Amino acid sequence: MWELIRANKRKSLILFISMGICLVLLGYFVGAVFFPPDGGTAGIVIALGVWFFMSLISYFSGDSILLAVSKAQEVSHDVHPQLFNIVEEMKIAANLPVMPKVYIVAEEAPNAFATGIKSEKCAIAVTAGLLSRLNRDELQGVIAHEMSHIVNRDVLFVTFAGILLGSIVLISQVFLRSMWFSSRSSRRYRTSKKVAGGGQAQLIITAVAIALAILAPILTRLLYFSLSRKREYLADATAARLTRYPEGLASALEQISSVSLDLPSANKVTAPMYIVNPLKKKGMQLSNLTSTHPPISERIKILRGMMHGVNYRDYQKSFSKVRGKAPAVIPTSGLLEAKRILIRKPSVEKREREPGKKKGIRDLGDIMRAVNKYAFLICACGLKMKVPPDYKKPKIFCPRCGRENEVPLAELAAVTAAVGAVTVEEGKKKEGPPGAPARQTYVRKGKGWESFSCSCGRLLQISPAFGGSHIICSTCGGITEIKK
Amino acid sequence: MAILILLLAVVVIVVVVLIGFYNSLIRLRNQVKNAWSQIDVQLKRRHDLIPNLVETAKGYMKHERETLENITEARSRAINAGSVGEKGPAESALSGAISRFLVVVENYPDLKANQNFLALQEELTSTENKIGFARQSYNDQVLFYNNKIQMFPSNVVAGMFSFTVEEFFELEDRGERAVPKVDFS
Amino acid sequence: MDCPVCKEPMIVLELDEVEIDHCTSCGGIWLDAGELELLLGDPDSRDRFLSSFETDEVTEERSRRCPICRKRMEKVSAGANGKVRIDRCRNNDGIWLDEGELEEILQMGSLGKDDRVLRLLKEMFAKKRQ
Ligand SMILES: [Zn+2]
Ligand SMILES: [Zn+2]
Ligand SMILES: [Zn+2]
Ligand SMILES: [Zn+2]
Repeated sequence: MWELIRANKRKSLILFISMGICLVLLGYFVGAVFFPPDGGTAGIVIALGVWFFMSLISYFSGDSILLAVSKAQEVSHDVHPQLFNIVEEMKIAANLPVMPKVYIVAEEAPNAFATGIKSEKCAIAVTAGLLSRLNRDELQGVIAHEMSHIVNRDVLFVTFAGILLGSIVLISQVFLRSMWFSSRSSRRYRTSKKVAGGGQAQLIITAVAIALAILAPILTRLLYFSLSRKREYLADATAARLTRYPEGLASALEQISSVSLDLPSANKVTAPMYIVNPLKKKGMQLSNLTSTHPPISERIKILRGMMHGVNYRDYQKSFSKVRGKAPAVIPTSGLLEAKRILIRKPSVEKREREPGKKKGIRDLGDIMRAVNKYAFLICACGLKMKVPPDYKKPKIFCPRCGRENEVPLAELAAVTAAVGAVTVEEGKKKEGPPGAPARQTYVRKGKGWESFSCSCGRLLQISPAFGGSHIICSTCGGITEIKK
Repeated sequence: MAILILLLAVVVIVVVVLIGFYNSLIRLRNQVKNAWSQIDVQLKRRHDLIPNLVETAKGYMKHERETLENITEARSRAINAGSVGEKGPAESALSGAISRFLVVVENYPDLKANQNFLALQEELTSTENKIGFARQSYNDQVLFYNNKIQMFPSNVVAGMFSFTVEEFFELEDRGERAVPKVDFS
Repeated sequence: MDCPVCKEPMIVLELDEVEIDHCTSCGGIWLDAGELELLLGDPDSRDRFLSSFETDEVTEERSRRCPICRKRMEKVSAGANGKVRIDRCRNNDGIWLDEGELEEILQMGSLGKDDRVLRLLKEMFAKKRQ
């Protein structure tokens, strides 16, 4: 895998340089038109300045901007244990040194993306619609694909190449608009006499600049998209290898493509980050050259064609079978891997998710509510109660059986884990009645994940990163002190 | 004089190259150690989870006492295993007991409706996966490290500083950890 | 979602995979159109159910604001004798029943054309019937 990253870097460098040349040329000629006779250098400086400035912004806040724009919310293990576990599994499989942050986007369109210019500060985000539609194996495939983007450094590429592309588009647009504007407005004030001296040269420069302003964005876009598509294939191949189960991702892609929902929080700039194009509905036919993602049906066919193993070589073989003579997607170093890796069997989970059916809709709603920090109670009579975080009363009488149900202070538990004892004291006051909850002590055995039962029977967990002095059970409110 | 400088230069280059090889070997060995600790963490976590799981399942699975006892027994044997040589078979026996348990569970709808049990089951399934992935990545690292130790020219450095070949960690590969498919319908 | 009467956050009750929003302060419930569709199976039965109430223009009872679209809801008559006044959103977002209205409906029976809705309410608010 490490060889692949190096090969990727080389290719990206070539691409960056060609895109950079486009930018410099464009800057030179546009500058020469705006500030004749020798504004070319100034143009280059301005063009590079635009690029540098935009890069700077995204380097320091890129992740948070993307996550904020897509309205993603960071979640803990408790909100969706399965998602969290799968991310950890893939982190281990990919040998990533740090655990990525996990985000859920409260939207129905199934999709996922990864961010993280630096791999130490990466994140994976999935939509609630994805979680409610996919089973464990499918979700694992999607997470593995996103994890591949992180280890293959694709986010870095997408961000910086995207910014280069953005700068080129910006400069061309400004230039073309100003040309159009000036040619209309100046006609009335100018004589039709030719400008004396150097007029010929200036005309040529203007023509070249216009041609560049039209062509450069198209050219860079094509370069950018072709590489971004290649990276999608590579991420699919890596995902198959990481999970050792290509069918998981294939079936996930199938599920995702069967839904025709746009993701309103995505836009053209963020689109390449997603596992499938979030704006896929328009221009599917045109998509071959100008699409950031390869056609889903083809990706599925390639994954399903991996019959004998999950090596990079197996993927390339299947790819060649599906795509015919298309150039190879896997760098040669990836093909040298000799060890055969077998496909594993599917996991035992029998439950199939039924999107659009009652259960699927319920799941979707519950995930969105969990993200929004609702507490979930199940009364002994079977009635489920979902309590919003701003609900103020400590108890709910079940309208079905009359039992009294205590409202767990869910948000409080999360806060306490981070802050420590002070919040508990405040929380106890908020709780009102002094019915003292159970107290127990747990002594930590090591530094890894540890789990134990609360006195009410609920499974409690502490993560390797846990630093608090105690945790509060979200079922019974009992406090367990954690000792080192 | 010129020869002396040349000789000095050669010595400096050789030392720099040696240091380079030495450092990369150290880095690889650390990665192997790191990968091993990952497996260790997950094995421990599995040992912690089992008592809770058995406790919850007991009430529902009256007819599966044997399955449950097998797990408990396999767990204590795995915990008490001393050497790495004993550990491998003991842990793989535990994996077998767990996967049989996870298949049997599918036939107890009441148990599958218990939220507490579902949470534990997800944790156990995930821990099993993590052990598998950690093992896979450990073996990848070991392969890489062993190749470096045995191949020229890094084998010279490895010999000088007594880097030794690491062992692979093999939980018996029952068809790549295949879970036996049981169909009761 | 906040209660249209007392503006407190409402809790959600779920039984048989159908949800009802319930205000624990005033005891009122909100039957959302989407949930009615889940319960009754298809959009057509939902629309038939929602339009089966007659608009009551003479009542001077205060009308409430729909918690979904925030527009004033209209009073419609329900119940076996048509004497119970409940609120219905003009955009058909759903219907609102105050605690007293709910109790009357539960006792007298009959809520709209489809008795599955009433059956669910009876099951969910079993304690209120006694
Ligand atoms: Zn992707
Ligand atoms: Zn109850
Ligand atoms: Zn109210
Ligand atoms: Zn409305």
